[in-house]
Amino acid sequence: MKKVNFCLPILLIGLIFILGACSEKGGESSEPDVSAKNRTALMINLSDQIILPSYASYKTKLEVMVEKSEAFSAQPDIANLQAFRLAWEEAYISWQKVELFDFGPASRHAIRNYHNIYPTNTAGIEANIQDANANLEAPYAYDKQGYPALDYLLNGLGSTDAAIVAAYKGQDGAKRLAYIRRLTGRMQTLLSTVVSEWNGSYRTEFVSKTGLDIGSPLGELVNGYIAHYERYIRSGKIGIPSGALVNGITSADKVEAYYKKDLSKKLAQSAHEAAVNFFNGVYANSSEEGPSLKSYLNALGTKDLSSGLLLSEVINSQFSKSNEALKGLNDNFYLEVTTNNQAMLTAYAELQKVVRLLKVDMTSAMSITITYTDNDGD
Amino acid sequence: MQQNIYWPRLAYLQKSASTAPLAVFRILFGLLIGVSMIRFALHGWIDMLYIQPLFHFSFYGFSFIKPLGQATYLIFGLCLLSSLMVTLGWYYRWAALSLFLSFTYIELMDQATYLNHYYFISLMALLMTVLPAGRYFSVDVFRKPEKACSRMPAWCLHAPLLLVFILYFYAGLAKLNSDWLLHALPLKIWLPARNDMPLIGQAFNLPWIPYLFSWFGCFYDLTIVFFLLYKKTRVGAYLTVVVFHGLTAILFPIGMFPYIMMVTALLFFPASFHHQLLDKLSKALSLSPARLHTDHSYRFPLHHQKWILTLVGTFFIFQLLFPFRYGLYPNELFWSEEGYRFSWRVMLMEKAGQVQFTVQDSHHAPERVINSAFLTPLQEKMMATQPDLILQFAHYLRDFYTKKGFTAPKVYADTYVSLNGRLGQTLIDPSTDLARETDSFQPKSWILPFKDEIKGL
Repeated sequence: MKKVNFCLPILLIGLIFILGACSEKGGESSEPDVSAKNRTALMINLSDQIILPSYASYKTKLEVMVEKSEAFSAQPDIANLQAFRLAWEEAYISWQKVELFDFGPASRHAIRNYHNIYPTNTAGIEANIQDANANLEAPYAYDKQGYPALDYLLNGLGSTDAAIVAAYKGQDGAKRLAYIRRLTGRMQTLLSTVVSEWNGSYRTEFVSKTGLDIGSPLGELVNGYIAHYERYIRSGKIGIPSGALVNGITSADKVEAYYKKDLSKKLAQSAHEAAVNFFNGVYANSSEEGPSLKSYLNALGTKDLSSGLLLSEVINSQFSKSNEALKGLNDNFYLEVTTNNQAMLTAYAELQKVVRLLKVDMTSAMSITITYTDNDGD
Repeated sequence: MQQNIYWPRLAYLQKSASTAPLAVFRILFGLLIGVSMIRFALHGWIDMLYIQPLFHFSFYGFSFIKPLGQATYLIFGLCLLSSLMVTLGWYYRWAALSLFLSFTYIELMDQATYLNHYYFISLMALLMTVLPAGRYFSVDVFRKPEKACSRMPAWCLHAPLLLVFILYFYAGLAKLNSDWLLHALPLKIWLPARNDMPLIGQAFNLPWIPYLFSWFGCFYDLTIVFFLLYKKTRVGAYLTVVVFHGLTAILFPIGMFPYIMMVTALLFFPASFHHQLLDKLSKALSLSPARLHTDHSYRFPLHHQKWILTLVGTFFIFQLLFPFRYGLYPNELFWSEEGYRFSWRVMLMEKAGQVQFTVQDSHHAPERVINSAFLTPLQEKMMATQPDLILQFAHYLRDFYTKKGFTAPKVYADTYVSLNGRLGQTLIDPSTDLARETDSFQPKSWILPFKDEIKGL
């Protein structure tokens, strides 16, 4: 009888191992979706087709901006100001396409905090201009640098280009140019650090650790992606200026690119498009799609039990509604908040629906954990 | 037999059993709790879960039990000390009582940390305070050999077995529902997340594997105690216990539970097995086997017997009935969680949610609350899906905003909850002023009905 006793557990162990072995070979042919559950392919696509190329094209834009800033520095005239401003705009838009990768090297070096914290602190900037040794590497310096500080320095020093150029003449002018050089230099240094870590050991780590627990690259990526959408797109670009978040009191002066005015919508749309494309696995340099959060959810077969709709379809349809709502806004969010804030609040409500789908439905379906304490699933 | 003077006709009460299984259980149970305490401290969880948070969720009726700041470490220390004294059988009865009280205190400090296996440990520790587990192979009887007993009333062995039976069988009953059996949820969600495990991971991509695991898990829970009781299947059943719980330990973050069940299941083995274990342990500790020998039988003092048996009986009647209280609530159990806890419902739901509170009064504009300013990620996650926790936090916000200068603030919750992969729905009536609602065992009218049906028990 002893042999019978051992049957059940041995069968159980044996079965699991045999299944494991079988499915590695035969899984793909019988079940087309199975390979899309492979998170290694997902990680490789995300890093090689989206994240790294996005950083590369951002780096190019930033280099152009630095070049133009140097030309302006050498000869501060209206033509060079306009060229610098245009390059700043393009780099700022390109930045929106990498800001969402707030995990790993980017998070470690807090690149966002040094690139895009607004509203910018003009008094702090003016003080720093006078102090060539002002510390730019601490949290209190977040709002005195990056794109919002350049926004002020390029667009906020006068009402006409001639007036702005005039601010770069004389003794203070030289100090201002020196501060611009400090800011652009710092942005480049931070970006090179992040990019070189990605090109170095982090990419290997990223594609080899496929777990979903806390601290795993994919878990951090998804949590960082959602936090970006929630706090920096929904709240930062729309919710805070429109007062949707606090007390209903509007703060039009807290829009992104406040001094440039007509750029805020373009930036919001770029950031939103980057978030949508990332979800769908769209390559950075073409419209091709690879393994993505969408294909992973589809492979898991995540659908709403009551409606039968795939979760990815529900998310994409809500992404479209958010897109539409953003598209309908004025190019200038400052103007929109002061004259037609209801449109901002409507856009906020659509973006909030995306947040819930990503934060609740998607993470739940992917089984991503947020804490590492014990849990018995109740 | 004078002993059973109060129930002279119950022959069952005159049956006796060896004290050895209970002694082995006492040693291992205490050790595992001791390890749990050390593990908890090493992970930094005492600080993270009980000292850092500004706010703690209490259990209904136990709001007086709160963490004690830095003194919380002392409670954990007391629990560790008690568990080791239980293992040693040193002042056993007091150690068991102190273990029960300190462990239960810890578990009641914050409802956000509720786990069924902690509840099991509390119940088992409570039972242990009554059982003569310190009368064999313990420091107590080495010091006073005249107190040693080799036999005890059989119910003292059967009582912990009954508790184990309730745990498994009720956990099995809870799985008899359409989500678990027909949709393989939530395992269909959880298993693919582990498809990168070495050797077995790939299997979790196969669509029928979650069904196999679901059905096997249900069958296991409903039947394992019977297979453990039956002599011919016992060894096989025990190995199944080890494999099953070992697998759950690898797959899911369920802490010490698998090991506790592996130890508890040893109680089903005959006395001879436990004597062998204790003999080996004696040799390892260089104790003379002769010291184990005794002919005494443990008897509860006559004047205690009646109330002890009444208490144990009441305890089990409560344990058998309490998990069924959910039947008295109209809403879907998994959705409203009215009557969900303390009922051996384990690993049944993948539930996630988001809740956004708004506080307002007659002269302040509505203010949105940033939960993370008050709650830890774990607390926020737990609260988002559990109506009674949402209500507790709403009351905390009411009091907080009253202090901030609001007059009779109203608190509204905008909720969104996903259950077992269904698209999120609103959990709490957004027009209900939660500041004015009170918690009770009554059905909560402000929980919105679940827009789907989960069939089954």
